[in-house]
Amino acid sequence: MVIPLEGLEYHPSGSSADPHDGPQTVSKSAPFWVRVRKSHWTTRLTALAAFLVVWWFLTTPWAWNGDKPIMLPLYLPSIPSVWNAFIRANTIHPIAEGVDREVVGEYGYYLWQHLLATLQRIGIGLFFAIVVGLPLGLLMASVKIISVSVEPYINFLRSLPPLGYIGLLIVWFGIDNTSKIWLLFLAAFPPITIATIAGVSGIKEDQIHAAQSLGASRLQVVSSVTVPAIAPDLITGIRVALGFAWTTVVAAELNNGIPGIGGLAYLSGTELKTPLTITCIIVIGITAIALDSIIKAMERVLTPWRGKA
Amino acid sequence: MSRDKSLVVDGVRQFFGPKNSRVQALSRTDLVIEPGQFVCLAGPSGCGKTTLLRLIAGFIKPSEGQITVSGSEIFGPGPDRGVVFQSPTLYPWMDVASNVELGLKFQGVSKDQRRADSERYLQMVGLTDFAHRRTYELSGGMQQRCQIARVLASDPEFILMDEPFGALDALTRERLQNELLDIWRKTGKTILFITHSVDEAVFLGSRVLVMSPRPGKILFDEPAIFSKPGESIAAEEIRSLPAFLELRERVRSSIQHSH
Ligand SMILES: Nc1ncnc2c1ncn2[C@@H]1O[C@H](COP(=O)(O)OP(=O)(O)O)[C@@H](O)[C@H]1O
Ligand SMILES: [Mg+2]
Repeated sequence: MVIPLEGLEYHPSGSSADPHDGPQTVSKSAPFWVRVRKSHWTTRLTALAAFLVVWWFLTTPWAWNGDKPIMLPLYLPSIPSVWNAFIRANTIHPIAEGVDREVVGEYGYYLWQHLLATLQRIGIGLFFAIVVGLPLGLLMASVKIISVSVEPYINFLRSLPPLGYIGLLIVWFGIDNTSKIWLLFLAAFPPITIATIAGVSGIKEDQIHAAQSLGASRLQVVSSVTVPAIAPDLITGIRVALGFAWTTVVAAELNNGIPGIGGLAYLSGTELKTPLTITCIIVIGITAIALDSIIKAMERVLTPWRGKA
Repeated sequence: MSRDKSLVVDGVRQFFGPKNSRVQALSRTDLVIEPGQFVCLAGPSGCGKTTLLRLIAGFIKPSEGQITVSGSEIFGPGPDRGVVFQSPTLYPWMDVASNVELGLKFQGVSKDQRRADSERYLQMVGLTDFAHRRTYELSGGMQQRCQIARVLASDPEFILMDEPFGALDALTRERLQNELLDIWRKTGKTILFITHSVDEAVFLGSRVLVMSPRPGKILFDEPAIFSKPGESIAAEEIRSLPAFLELRERVRSSIQHSH
């Protein structure tokens, strides 16, 4: 289970960079990566070390256990075997021990190629989610009829588990990339639309009035006030959307999902290659956290006024 | 005085709320503001001052009657009527200078010209050193000055100000009052200035209006020329004039007897 939105609930207004809300005071001029609370990193590293020790303990053969690990490798592979799976997935290696034929990575692709294929799908799905979700949100926020008629469908769509309708998408759009991108798009656009609506309804009336009194045309009001005013909410929406897309990615890649990190995780599981499955899970999780950090950083750079005005 | 450029509030009434339980915020109001006047509108809070200003600004449509500028009815806000809001509505996604230039940008003025103008007005309100700061880095008084600079830079014929100094400390308020008087003397703009301070109204205004509450009604309308355009009398001198004290007393008692 990936939780790519780690930290969102603690800093809904992106104030994690605020030097006054933590026990530590770091100079305001310091770059944000310095301002990340250092004490948290020691805690996190200690927790990781403890986790690895427990993992090692459970998967190492013990004499008192009849030279067997407490958990069998099929259920929980050992740390070295996961590491080997990771190396195999990134190199050209013999197809099996003692066999001359060599193969590339896993199922013909290096691990990074699997990851890249997935990132591409998510990127395209997210791109269309923004292209559709943002204008739809603006429309719904400004035209009552549209909002009243479309909102139930968005809520309906949001409540569906992606596994429920991937089969339908495959029937409609084929088993290749198109149906996968559709699934990621459908997972990603509702949060963007909803965030846009929330952003528009949060605009102070007088901010619009002020622009109009300065002579702004309708279009100028949108470009100078509406769009920047909703930017913080929009970025939050994109962040949530990306998280949804990630948690949907295995479902999207269940069928014909190679190359694809989600497809690889699923396929390796069905073939009982648990070390490889765990490698995939770790890569999926770390990538999700990295992507989320990138968006959080963009938030600070693009909308520095968030929570301040 | 010519009437062609004046602002006329003609039989305007304003109601709020649904038809069956509507509240009257403004009873039938007729008002002519001549070009160059500095009209101060005083009255207890909740009496309808802001409502009248928002009607003139074009933010709300009058329930009855009409408002005309230079003889033609207004429909909505326009760059001829600049508004200084009670709480500053600056845009945090722009720096101070860009906020001040915004009106000129909307009018299609070239970038160089905009820069020059914003520098001039920022100097006028004493914010030159803050031109490239974000607006949320300014204090309340500085934000209010920035807002005034923004309105002045867009060069409207009428400036509508809603208790612009209400939230400021006494010292800052006094300084801004003097600055505003100075600007008015230099530019000859037509100003509608709302305040709940009697002293402020009588000190600043070339004409003082008092509004009574529920529903709002203008019940006092007198000239108060303690500072003519082109003149500059020290503030303390004005405030010690017998005529100033006398008018201030009459305005005060008219507000007290209004409710
Ligand atoms: N948008 C509105 N909806 C309903 N009532 C309003 C609205 N705006 C003002 N009012 C009412 O109109 C009256 C006058 O308000 P306002 O013009 O803001 O007074 P002032 O500016 O003199 O303090 C008040 O009773 C207020 O509650
Ligand atoms: Mg008011």
